[in-house]
Amino acid sequence: MSAAGTYRHLFTPLRLGPVTVANRIVFSAHLTNYAHAGRPTPQHAAYYAARAAGGAGLIVTEEHSTHPTDWPYEKLIHGFHRDVVDGYRRITDAVHAHGVPVFAQINHNGGQGSGLYSRLPVWAPSPVADPLFREVPKAVEAHELGEIVDGYATVAGHCVAGGFDGIELQCSHSSIVRGFLSPATNRRTDEYGGSLANRARLLLELVDAVRSTIGPGCALGVRLCGDELIEGGTTIDDAVAVARMVEATGQVDYLNTSIGVATATLYMIEASMQVPPGYAFYIPSALRQAVDLPVVGVGRFKDPLQADRALAEGVCDLVGVVRGQIADPDFARKARAGHATDIRTCLSCNQECVGRMGLNRWLGCIENPRAGKESAPVAAPRRRRRVVVVGGGPGGLQAAVTAASRGHSVVLFERQGRLGGQAHVAAAVPSRAEFFDVARNLITAARREGVELRVGVEATAAAVRAEGPDAVVVATGARPARPWWAGELARVVDVRDVLEGRVAPEGRVVVVDELGFHQATSTAELLADRGCAVEIVTSGMVVAQDLGVTLDMETWNVKAHARGIVQSTDLVPLGAAPGADGGVVLALQHHPTGTDQERACDWVVCAVHQEPEDDLFHALDGAPFEVHRVGDCLTPRRAHAAVVEGERVAVAL
Amino acid sequence: MTALVDPVAVAGRTAPSRVVFGPHETNLGEGRALGPRHVAYYAARAAGGAGVLVTETASVHPSDWPYERAPLAAACGDGWRAVAEACRPHGTLVLAGLGHAGGQGSSAHSQAALWAPSRVADAVSRELPMEMGRDEVDALVTGFGAAAGLAAACGLDGVEVDAGPFALLRQFHSGLTNRRADAYGEDRLLVTRTVLGAVRDALGPDRVLALRLCCDELAPWAGVTPEQAAGHVAALVGAVDLLTVVRGGPFSTSAYRPDAHSPAGVNRDLCAAMRQAAAGAVPVVLQGGVVDPAMAQAALDGGVADLVEMTRAQIAEPALVGLVRAGRPAEVRPCLRCNQACQVRDDRNPLVTCVGEPRSGHETEDPDPVPPGGPAAAGPGAPRALVVGAGPAGLECARVLAARGHRVRVVERGTATGGALRAASVGPGRDGLAALADWLEAECRRLGVAVETDRAATPADLDAAQADGVAVVLATGGRPAPLGVPSDGSSPVVDAVDALAGDPADLPEGPVAVLDPVGGPVGVGVAEWLAAHGRSVALVTPDQVAGTLLARTGDLADANGRLQRAGVRRELRAVVRAVGNGAVHVEDVWTGEPRAVDAAVVVACGHRLPDEALYLARPGTLRAGDCVAPRGIEAAVLEGRRRALEICGVLPAARVPAGAGAVR
Repeated sequence: MSAAGTYRHLFTPLRLGPVTVANRIVFSAHLTNYAHAGRPTPQHAAYYAARAAGGAGLIVTEEHSTHPTDWPYEKLIHGFHRDVVDGYRRITDAVHAHGVPVFAQINHNGGQGSGLYSRLPVWAPSPVADPLFREVPKAVEAHELGEIVDGYATVAGHCVAGGFDGIELQCSHSSIVRGFLSPATNRRTDEYGGSLANRARLLLELVDAVRSTIGPGCALGVRLCGDELIEGGTTIDDAVAVARMVEATGQVDYLNTSIGVATATLYMIEASMQVPPGYAFYIPSALRQAVDLPVVGVGRFKDPLQADRALAEGVCDLVGVVRGQIADPDFARKARAGHATDIRTCLSCNQECVGRMGLNRWLGCIENPRAGKESAPVAAPRRRRRVVVVGGGPGGLQAAVTAASRGHSVVLFERQGRLGGQAHVAAAVPSRAEFFDVARNLITAARREGVELRVGVEATAAAVRAEGPDAVVVATGARPARPWWAGELARVVDVRDVLEGRVAPEGRVVVVDELGFHQATSTAELLADRGCAVEIVTSGMVVAQDLGVTLDMETWNVKAHARGIVQSTDLVPLGAAPGADGGVVLALQHHPTGTDQERACDWVVCAVHQEPEDDLFHALDGAPFEVHRVGDCLTPRRAHAAVVEGERVAVAL
Repeated sequence: MTALVDPVAVAGRTAPSRVVFGPHETNLGEGRALGPRHVAYYAARAAGGAGVLVTETASVHPSDWPYERAPLAAACGDGWRAVAEACRPHGTLVLAGLGHAGGQGSSAHSQAALWAPSRVADAVSRELPMEMGRDEVDALVTGFGAAAGLAAACGLDGVEVDAGPFALLRQFHSGLTNRRADAYGEDRLLVTRTVLGAVRDALGPDRVLALRLCCDELAPWAGVTPEQAAGHVAALVGAVDLLTVVRGGPFSTSAYRPDAHSPAGVNRDLCAAMRQAAAGAVPVVLQGGVVDPAMAQAALDGGVADLVEMTRAQIAEPALVGLVRAGRPAEVRPCLRCNQACQVRDDRNPLVTCVGEPRSGHETEDPDPVPPGGPAAAGPGAPRALVVGAGPAGLECARVLAARGHRVRVVERGTATGGALRAASVGPGRDGLAALADWLEAECRRLGVAVETDRAATPADLDAAQADGVAVVLATGGRPAPLGVPSDGSSPVVDAVDALAGDPADLPEGPVAVLDPVGGPVGVGVAEWLAAHGRSVALVTPDQVAGTLLARTGDLADANGRLQRAGVRRELRAVVRAVGNGAVHVEDVWTGEPRAVDAAVVVACGHRLPDEALYLARPGTLRAGDCVAPRGIEAAVLEGRRRALEICGVLPAARVPAGAGAVR
């Protein structure tokens, strides 16, 4: 049986109006911050082409802005400039070279922006400030509505000239069309406000204008929000009714879907691993029951089997796999070939993709060091070398996999009885279990690439020298460091002591958070679930501030509330003394006021910076071969640093 | 007596004035190079009379990439050359700012470990750097030398080495960040001395080697103290030609160029002490919130310093030195020290600009609002204009129209000019905002604008003006928005603008709830003002932190500290559901948990609505500022100016089709 046969639906073709896609896997539109000066770049072309080469059925590019009043983030493509067409052509040629159709998403973000870059008022249906940008927009006047429609038509024309096979109107999560559709932001009393028919008027005018510009040979899709998850916002019933109106125009070839509002409920649009897969199925499902148009479903499709099942169950006709194809551009090809276990599965960690978008940085991936650098050439390997990698965490594994895939002979030592390093620690909490994929994917790849894995073997300097290596990559990780204030108290422990099972705190537990990420919250969640009374203290203004970047802040706070976890800020530990019943008295200073506090508790768990395990690196000083160090043994950081450094060192061998 | 505007010798070269335009983030570059925007920006300050100008600090080594547009010295050659050529006609000494942010950088762009003396995480980013080894130290020294050599080759007058609040060299000086046991730990100035030596070798003896030195990290338990710094100064002055005294460290980055909540000229005592330590070996520069030429002059007169850095003042007024020299200091546009548009160390990469002078940073694209050669006099047959509203938008519009030869009349329905800007100019750290309104009004009057207060315009006035060929611009500002939640009337709801215009004692007795869905300076300012008047105040915000947008001006942590010390309760994560029974009823934004905040009176600091009454009566009339959409000072000034330049034909007129109307 051909592998594609494993999936009865995923690899069947489908017509979207004039365009036929070979399979149902869509690389849906998403921001990349690859644009420069409002124009698409060669990186865009290389990025999309990699996913086309990897077998995607359809590529939809990131949004192209239709009007100068729309400039919500710096690296937006300004589709209204005529000179974008060359860049469009570069994208479409690159994707078409792999026989894959490519659509352009066009959009005006409306009030979900600011005048920071445009130096113009933002335009919206009504003067309702966006919850993120917090700028009061100008309510558009009649002649300005005409300008908006003209802008869409202009940009659609540029897209056709640039070789795109279709246009998608983003009317879903950050759009002036969304603003009009949603009662939360449309307070107009004219024929564009009030009834749903009125609120949808702009959308229908845009459909008319764009279709008349692009003609019948180009596909046209509309992306709708099925549930804004905000007060007074669009609900699924409204969305179904709008879908019917769109279908009734007879001018639209497919519907795409989304959930949430980008500037209010983004954590549901780009849900992290805290949100179960399939959480948004109800939206495409409802639309599909109401209309005959093909419907795209989105929301944490991580593996082809899950996608195929959604198709089988009639949830949707196509599946949007964005992060899955950022992590592994060959997602579709591997599935089709029956090598699904080779897919570098997305973790939904949001650290380097979503997390970088909000910070105005180029899109990357925690486990795909090539993401964001597709256009940068990689030098071919020189001669085959004997490489020893010490350490089987993400950094060492990445170095080994990359080196082996480039033809080097690689042996990897891991002193623990299992590979994966601190990925085990991060994944120790049930709600973060998917994080281990970062290691599992690499372990699979290491085996596939023929890395010789010596697990449970300590690599001394002598053992390394005995291998006769040309190059050594030291990736020996980090160990917990006791904070200066902790003294020798046995009940002041590190999060790793808890997550690796060396201790099992009970009773009242204070977690000290100096890292501002998942370490403290994961541990607190685990201990609260085991019945502990948990308080997190941090010197910061917010506990686990960086969870905001990965869109985990909302789910964390809901969980913390449900578990009675107390969060206390602005507190600096000053010391720890023995307390009653073997417990601990933690001395804290409230630094904005300089006042002292105490916490009597049973255990203190520290989420603090670690120290490098760099003895081997120093022991190899002066060795007659190259010695590199990557990841935490250089200085302890997050997993991405280890992966990037492992890749970089291996490429340079 | 030494005058601020008099020349001063520095290392055998002559600066045309004693006013320094210091290095600062601008985001004006292209990639990591200085771009044409930089050149025009610096040239405007040189033309305005700056004595010494230090370009945006460039990283001396690729390991340092602290923000996306941070210049990289190796990429700055062409830009430095262009800046030098553009500034040369004005005699300004141009120095290349050179630095390395070390552990205060970011690996987001370089994707590589940060360098630092020791493995100490930065207090702000929490990112753990790597400890520099011998190779890295050598690379740093070599990088400084190479960068200085390039700067000299490009025709700059010299360089400034950064050992200030964001600098790796300071991290070596400080016990907070240098925990090394080797020679670089035993002698914390060793790296800096080595760097200065390499830079001097690269520059040669006849160019300026300046040093920006942190002399107080405001962390006396382990940081650099003024007492230690005096020793540092004494040890280092022999190696440099110019010394700029600054403060701030890992726990106090906002102290470097604080907003108006700190006193102006905050480093004067520190600078005087360091000048003593320097013992006349080099000229010493005072830095830190000096924006008033009189204060700068007083600092020279009082022996505090030999030169004065007035960076923000020259962002607000590029011609500052020239106006002072011409005996017209009143015409200097004031810097408000608001940090709202010039503080651009921000992931969004905003271009440096100024709320009162939005052309700053946009010199390559925005026309000069006042014609070259000064204002044109309005003759008898001059075109006429009517501006409705004397807030910043209306006054700026009138000012520019008058400067370009219009006879202008401004009518204001209120009793004073300044609009929302003057209304906001209340309370600690905020009461200086009205200086911009005062300046705009004074400039208008100087240019012959008729400013009439207590004079409301009617649609008939607009019709009459139009019939008379008078250009009309509406700048009628904003109005309060309804609270949008049910209220039983038990606690009156007062708009922030009205509250600030009155006396806190006039508000009903009892606790005050300040509702702040914006997170900007207004809600925090209102809360502080009320607390300072002895009121019991709760600041209610949907955010996790009060005043969240103040991160952009550097005031976030400081503001929260002030609120705490003032006894203001911060009701965080609170979405307002109702006002009733003497309380504001809120719910947690994420968990929905309800709670009540006692409130005898509610002050609403939310987003406002445009006052469109006149516009709706005469749709299509030109308008500017909050009456288009209520925003900040910068938008008001920019739009007022643009409408004026459109009327004058300097900018193309906005396309408004005949019969255009506001449809709601």
